[in-house]
Amino acid sequence: MTAAALVAAVPAGTSPKDRPRPRRERRTRMWLTTGVVAVIAFVVNIPWLNALMVSFKSEADIAHSPVGAFKPTLSNYANALWAAGYDFPKFFQNSAMIALGAVAVVLLLAVPSAYAAVRLGLGGRLIMNASSSLRLLPAIFFAVPYFLLMSNLGIIDTVLGLVIANSFLNLPLGIILISAGLGEIPIEIEEAAAIDGASSYRTLYSIVLPVLAPTLVAVAVLVFIFSWNDYLFALILSSSNATPVTLGAANFVTSTGIRWGDISAASILSTLPPVLFAVFAQRYLVSGLSAGAVKG
Amino acid sequence: MATRGSKVDRSAKWVLGAPLIAFTAMFVVWPVAQGVQTGLYDFTLQNPEITFNGLENFRRVFSLPGFWDAVRFTALFAMVVTAVEAVLGFGLALLMNRRFPGKKLFFTALLLPIMIAPSLLGIMFRLLLNGDIGLAPAVLSALGLDISLFSPGTVVPLLIVLDVLQWTPFVFLIVYSGLQSFPTDVLEAAQIDGAGRLRTLTSLVIPIMKPVIAAAVFLRMIDAIRTFDVIYVLTAGGPGRTTTTLSIFIYKTAFESGDFGLAAAISTVVLLALLPLVPLVVRRIAQPEGSRS
Repeated sequence: MTAAALVAAVPAGTSPKDRPRPRRERRTRMWLTTGVVAVIAFVVNIPWLNALMVSFKSEADIAHSPVGAFKPTLSNYANALWAAGYDFPKFFQNSAMIALGAVAVVLLLAVPSAYAAVRLGLGGRLIMNASSSLRLLPAIFFAVPYFLLMSNLGIIDTVLGLVIANSFLNLPLGIILISAGLGEIPIEIEEAAAIDGASSYRTLYSIVLPVLAPTLVAVAVLVFIFSWNDYLFALILSSSNATPVTLGAANFVTSTGIRWGDISAASILSTLPPVLFAVFAQRYLVSGLSAGAVKG
Repeated sequence: MATRGSKVDRSAKWVLGAPLIAFTAMFVVWPVAQGVQTGLYDFTLQNPEITFNGLENFRRVFSLPGFWDAVRFTALFAMVVTAVEAVLGFGLALLMNRRFPGKKLFFTALLLPIMIAPSLLGIMFRLLLNGDIGLAPAVLSALGLDISLFSPGTVVPLLIVLDVLQWTPFVFLIVYSGLQSFPTDVLEAAQIDGAGRLRTLTSLVIPIMKPVIAAAVFLRMIDAIRTFDVIYVLTAGGPGRTTTTLSIFIYKTAFESGDFGLAAAISTVVLLALLPLVPLVVRRIAQPEGSRS
């Protein structure tokens, strides 16, 4: 209730003098809202719903007409996954390794350093300010330097190179969210642990980490999604070996003629992991996205 | 005991911070330095001889017609999409803030576009808008509208519509989250005073929500300025240069024309242009204690 009543509770001319509206009228208003929201939710999802439909059409049906009935087939999915000899399964595996690798690196770097900054005074506000500033810079600024750096290190077109690039891109977000999460933990627990003789490491590991778990999940989910969805650095730093789905699914367009059915199936499969996260980890996602956006 | 503890702490902060410091030195500071430095060299893929040429690249940036076209398009695109998405996202947040059947389901549905990789969405847009097999042209021609979606006259509005489809949900999400901590007692007071609906919105809801809306607008603006994926997949910056954002322009200069020196110089110019915004972003994001009451 509370704020949910915000606008609903302030209909025209509401004042204590007004008697409550008849129940039926309120019901109608509620269903009307449902209708309007349903239309908006449908419209913003048209692009992938259309791709989902096409992914079940045979090439003949696709060529025949964009609208109208068709006989559903799974052949496009079979093609994308094994039948047509695309590298798609490998792209998918690359995406998974890059995204999971970036999650691991971001957590390993951000947790201890955010703790050192927030609780032990490392660098004052410097780390937070630098993280926020990096959030502002367009990723393209790092395109040329990263291409040169990865070439020099000999890790161009490797999963490792893309793990590093995506860790770098998402590190600011990780530090911002974890610092905010640390700020909410009452310091008294840690002081008590210190008085009992626990070292900083011990306190971080056994006291702080368990309390921080929800924040860590939020960071992991967001970093996974953003790394999975990266396109620019994949374009610059991979050519065949380390190609992820974002680039691989687009490659279908040029390399095999335009087989729209297969492309649709591949892009639907490629959006599944982030979308599943969106559905099942929604709580973490919403708190993470809005915390990163609206200050703490 | 206490003194020993503080001694451990003094070293602990460096030990715990060391991985980040090492990573930052190698993968942030060095690339930035190299990026700025590359701008001072004549460094192209065609010419293996890398020679220092001072500010020549920077002089060239400002006389490139493509650069100014990209600046104009990027600014126009970012401002229009941000404005439209702010208004629609705010409206949607107010709408979703009511109680109605199916709310949870639609909330999830509204968030899906944010989760889809922009490049994959670009492919889906190509499918949707394809002249031969796309749903959108078929529907348009059934309605008697015969327009070519990717012609120079329509491509910019088209890209704006597509961006609005994907990112209005982002503004919605942030504003909606903000609305959840809206002080309801203020509203009750307004009701008692007999304030009308529109009046409540303009003199209460909007002023109180201003910081949240500003944050959403600011973040959308930053992201719109660096737009790359969807436009690159859909139009590759064309037809001609009509839809070349700064990101696409820099990418093409470096990896299609092979002029690394010039691309680095453009990047540095963009960086310097964005620098005045840094204090703003630092104030907005980096101070969690400001938001707590």
